Amino acid sequence: MSTSGRQDDPRGLLPAHIHAEHEHGPDGEIRLRVDLLGFERATRMLRDAGARFITMFLAGRPEPSLVCVLALRGALIVLRAPTGPSDPIVYGSIGGGWPAARWAEQELVERANVRPIGLAPAHSLTAPNADRLERTLSGLDVFSIPYGPVRSGIFEAIQFMIETGGEDVPRLQTRPFFKHRGMEARFVGLDVNTAVHVAERVAGIASVAYACAFCQAVERALGAQPPASGERWRAVHAELERIACHLDVIAKEAETTALFVGQARFQILKETIMRVRCALTGSRFGRGVISPGGVRYPGRIPLDELSEGLERFERDLGRDRRLFLNTASMTDRLIGSGHLPRALVEEWGAVGPVARGSGISVDARHERPYGEYRRLGLRVMTRRDGDAMARINVRFSEISESLRILRQAIDHLARRNGELSVEMPTTTSGAAFGWTEAPQGELLIWVEIDDGLIQQVRIASPSLRNWALFDHAFPKDVLTDFAFIEHSFGLTPAGSDR
Amino acid sequence: MTLAWIPRGLRSGRVTTRYPARPEPPPDGYRGPVELLDPAGAPAEVILVCPTGAIGLEPGGSLTLDRGRCIGCGECVRAAPGVFAFARRYETAARSRRELIEPAKSAAPDVEDVWRSLGVQARALRRSLHIRHIDAGSDGAEEWEIQALWNPYYDIQRLGFFLTSSPRHADILIVTGGVTEPMREPLELTWRVMPAPKALIAAGTDACSGGLSAITGLTAGGVDHVLPVDVYVPGSPPAPIALLDGLLQAVGLLGAGATA
Repeated sequence: MSTSGRQDDPRGLLPAHIHAEHEHGPDGEIRLRVDLLGFERATRMLRDAGARFITMFLAGRPEPSLVCVLALRGALIVLRAPTGPSDPIVYGSIGGGWPAARWAEQELVERANVRPIGLAPAHSLTAPNADRLERTLSGLDVFSIPYGPVRSGIFEAIQFMIETGGEDVPRLQTRPFFKHRGMEARFVGLDVNTAVHVAERVAGIASVAYACAFCQAVERALGAQPPASGERWRAVHAELERIACHLDVIAKEAETTALFVGQARFQILKETIMRVRCALTGSRFGRGVISPGGVRYPGRIPLDELSEGLERFERDLGRDRRLFLNTASMTDRLIGSGHLPRALVEEWGAVGPVARGSGISVDARHERPYGEYRRLGLRVMTRRDGDAMARINVRFSEISESLRILRQAIDHLARRNGELSVEMPTTTSGAAFGWTEAPQGELLIWVEIDDGLIQQVRIASPSLRNWALFDHAFPKDVLTDFAFIEHSFGLTPAGSDR
Repeated sequence: MTLAWIPRGLRSGRVTTRYPARPEPPPDGYRGPVELLDPAGAPAEVILVCPTGAIGLEPGGSLTLDRGRCIGCGECVRAAPGVFAFARRYETAARSRRELIEPAKSAAPDVEDVWRSLGVQARALRRSLHIRHIDAGSDGAEEWEIQALWNPYYDIQRLGFFLTSSPRHADILIVTGGVTEPMREPLELTWRVMPAPKALIAAGTDACSGGLSAITGLTAGGVDHVLPVDVYVPGSPPAPIALLDGLLQAVGLLGAGATA
């Protein structure tokens, strides 16, 4: 847990000839201003210094600017270039040479009047058409299978264009944005207390993670600090959500192998957690409890009842986990499937259990600790194998780690249950990032507030960044491995499409 | 090791609910559907606290509540506690959009009566009904709750409901989401190829009215703008029991051949 990275002198990050101006920003954000011409060069130098790409978008505050966000040694580097009156906005492409930025830049091109020089023309990303084939295949032994957006089973809408000869999958194209609902725009004009309900409904299965990231952005923009008990309750709800999401992934893997008792057992465990969340907050998804400034109410069941419930759950989970990991018909399908070498994962800037399964220790709770995680020692769970089994093992370990965090947080809450929230200023302006480690990976939300009302929200969802890597997850795999590899990613199209 | 799962499964015992033969009450403090207790109890300004415009005003100045638009955020319950309240029940389904608007224009059916009739319907269900689901722009939580219907707690196969991958084998279509533009055609096509008699369930507030995305211009603002809906199950998301209740209501429709 080194904190030295956050004290780095930001001026040392870029050479003098880039003329980067350091601007004041909230704790944990290093804000640098460059001009449009030097923008691509600056991102390239930061990439060489080891930065990880997170997102890029057009910001309105403090002035209209092109913004690129990177993570470097425990800090968030916010690089901004004022766009001035230029129309279209012309700059050197970032995604052209950096795969991690490709989809974010492509989305920007399709939604705003920007012209990155050097971005290869690509098929439309944000306006998918279920019936359109973008490539014609010729030859006897290869054909395309459009899988989705109407899936077999109960799944969210997304399409995979699978090119196969029946066994191998030489090429796969993921097509998201079938369910783009305009959620970022939906925030605009709302006051911060109402807007949190929108945040909860961007990606429903990660409601708590989205609500917390949004609230933290608001708090940082307006200079408010939630009390410790409020942050502790947030951690409790967030870790319960993580456990539910991870169990969902594991139950789906068991279902795919037709391991019916295993599937039933993990579904029972997941439902147990959903019911704990329901008893605790009144909502099976923990909705309505997180608010700017803290939490609205404490848990609705006594803390010792909660700990006893979690202890019982942990005992049950231990037995099922042992059985799962010793069932060869299960593990055989996961070991070696969907292998992702570390270098590939880094190149695409993937996050969450997908990155941690390939040995990359990226976890927002550890990299840039927020809320309760500043006080808790978190162990980041990684595996080096890079296959579907590694991603499942990471999830199993994270469930145990979440239970440990829950015990600590409940312990603290039992000893001292102080104020749950602070009053938020209602007529202040500001802009900042908030972040959390959602069950799917690092989530980053940018919020601009003018006179207490939301002016703009931008969401960098873990799902979108990880879908981009999914196209490359079939190096030696066959068509029948598809479902195993998809579930091992554990993503939600609602989050990626927004 | 595969054999070791058998005693593990047996030792789990029975966890399945007996719903609908017996009611399933939610825990204390459950944030169920919002109810309008007193249409004249709050000043008109209260309609402004609702982010989806679910609270309306009658010409006489009394309030109305459209549960089809309600996302259950609770802003109105906080603003006017004696006027709005979370009901402590799971069930939210209704056969028409108008039934979701409170206060009801006609007398509401007795709850006991509804349970009894649902119980009879469920017993008669020996004919196995096949369900197909399509996501037309949900937030993803509805899918979790629909999947939960097949977990051992709810186990709707005991009532004769099965999941099918092909719309051509389906009797019931469950639609989630307010219907985004790219999903409109796949949705229409799926419905068209389903054989009659068939029923369509709009699951979740987004499917009932578009919910939060109704005014973004990127969704149709509810499934009934695209296809005829037989049963509305509002909720953000509706709980598994609420969905089960909606399914049983749809079965009643199929039995009557209403949409044949």
